[in-house]
Amino acid sequence: MRVRTWLTPYVFVSPFFLVFAAFGVYPLIFALQLSFTRWRGAGEAVFVGLGNYSYLLSSPDFWASLGNSAVLWLLIVPVQVVAGLGAAVLLANAKLRLRGFFRVAFIAPFVTPLVAMAQVWIVVFDTDYGLVNYVLNLVGLPDVGWLTSTTWSKPTLALLFLWKTTGFAIIILLAGLQAVPGQVYEAAGLDGASRWRQFWSLTVPLVRRSIAFLVVVQTLAVFQMFAEPYVVTQGGPYGSTETAGLYLYDHISASDLGTGAANSFLLVLLVFGLSLGAVRLLRPKDGTS
Amino acid sequence: MKPGIGQYTILGVLAAGFLYPIWWAISSSFKPPNDIITDPLTLSGPTLHNYEAMFADVPIGTGFANTALVLVVKGAMTMLFCPLAGYAFAKFSFPGKNVLFGVVLLTLMLPTLVLIIPLLLEMSALGWVNTYQALILPGSIDAFSIFWMRQTIAAIPGELIDAGRVDGSSELGIFFRVVLPVIRPGLAALAVLTTMNVYNDFVWPVVAVNDTEHQTLQVVLSTLAQNITGNRIGSDFTTVWGELLAAGSVAMVPLLVIFVVLQRHFINGILAGSVKG
Repeated sequence: MRVRTWLTPYVFVSPFFLVFAAFGVYPLIFALQLSFTRWRGAGEAVFVGLGNYSYLLSSPDFWASLGNSAVLWLLIVPVQVVAGLGAAVLLANAKLRLRGFFRVAFIAPFVTPLVAMAQVWIVVFDTDYGLVNYVLNLVGLPDVGWLTSTTWSKPTLALLFLWKTTGFAIIILLAGLQAVPGQVYEAAGLDGASRWRQFWSLTVPLVRRSIAFLVVVQTLAVFQMFAEPYVVTQGGPYGSTETAGLYLYDHISASDLGTGAANSFLLVLLVFGLSLGAVRLLRPKDGTS
Repeated sequence: MKPGIGQYTILGVLAAGFLYPIWWAISSSFKPPNDIITDPLTLSGPTLHNYEAMFADVPIGTGFANTALVLVVKGAMTMLFCPLAGYAFAKFSFPGKNVLFGVVLLTLMLPTLVLIIPLLLEMSALGWVNTYQALILPGSIDAFSIFWMRQTIAAIPGELIDAGRVDGSSELGIFFRVVLPVIRPGLAALAVLTTMNVYNDFVWPVVAVNDTEHQTLQVVLSTLAQNITGNRIGSDFTTVWGELLAAGSVAMVPLLVIFVVLQRHFINGILAGSVKG
């Protein structure tokens, strides 16, 4: 036992805390301070109290960015949960052949670099020369401004997000389903419960935890969405894809750092609130888990 | 419940939808530039024209080298320090342990966005803008990996570790000779997940670096994309599209290959990520 001093565990955990103190705690405190000042990255910082916060809260652009993110959330999260659950139920069937292939096919988009696929989206959804409109023309339909009209820009971005991450959702839900013991279904089958009833009254409650996890993770991801609009649309057309994450970035590129810091805290509060709400909504009613 | 033709059809259509964009991008990148636009559905070529043009125009080699460097250093730090901290949290009892672990869990919930601006200012105060340490150090030892390693190591039977102690090994010796070999599958999944995260990381590299010399692969790619959407006219539109697809394919393939080879570890890594819920 001589080698085991009281210091050992502290030494073992210290690298994380050193990095966290230097690149986590320090910047957080600094950001909080910064959010109460007007500062453009150079010169004297002017204390403005809650000025940045009240500016943002009364700025139409700030609310528009939240609105855009909220619409994207609506286009993404419900679709993903429903489609993901459907696909996971099909994949969970023990007698399914080619399961390995399907798993690989579904998750492949998740491992492709986002920026590379965002570029592909630019090319595929181009109004004049893109693949999608080419196919529409072939069947006699007119061009659609996928990335150039305010109607379609959000759905097109949402589709990129859905394409990229739904495989992840399927895997998470599949794992949740496979944790459900087969006997539960056998018993229900003996009771003569229909497949739909089994799905709603057995499967969904049993994978509630997985669904809750998914909703929280994707809510965080959608409200921080940055790379997709940054690469594909730069927030356009007419600000229709100016997401909350991109709006925050714009403060940085405009060197309006005090406002940017305030914006990030507002965003964090919102995201925390939304995740807590999602967890509460999806919590099983008997209070377990 | 034998799956019927309907189920296979649904799954098949889904699989095609997920795979087709990847296939289309890679196969089109080998077509003559004009054909990509005039005839996007059929294959033609193959030609390396787009690749030659892309390698001449874009510093993609630099991007790869920088990503590789970040990956090696960050990966090494993750693979060493995260299991080490996980080991301490799983198998030691010490004053303050719960508080410290609580801090680890709390940082899990901290969105990256909130740190971007102050971190950037910290980097410029340190004179670290456009340096490798700026790319590597912030977030180099992440809370999630520690949490995950703690869960993995907690499952090791205590007797195994005690046996090591009786042998008179040092704590570090036990860590390297007992703990690490036992959790090898978990480490493999951690390595794969870290690779994916570092390779695809975009927000921080795009903010922390603005010179060509230090750009990571993803940043190089995004610069190319912005040249196109920013000023479609000027450069020859058709050539640029070919280059874009070539660059995207080059960036996609390494990770897809690793994924197909190590898919089990990939999926385990993703699943481990969901345990924290």
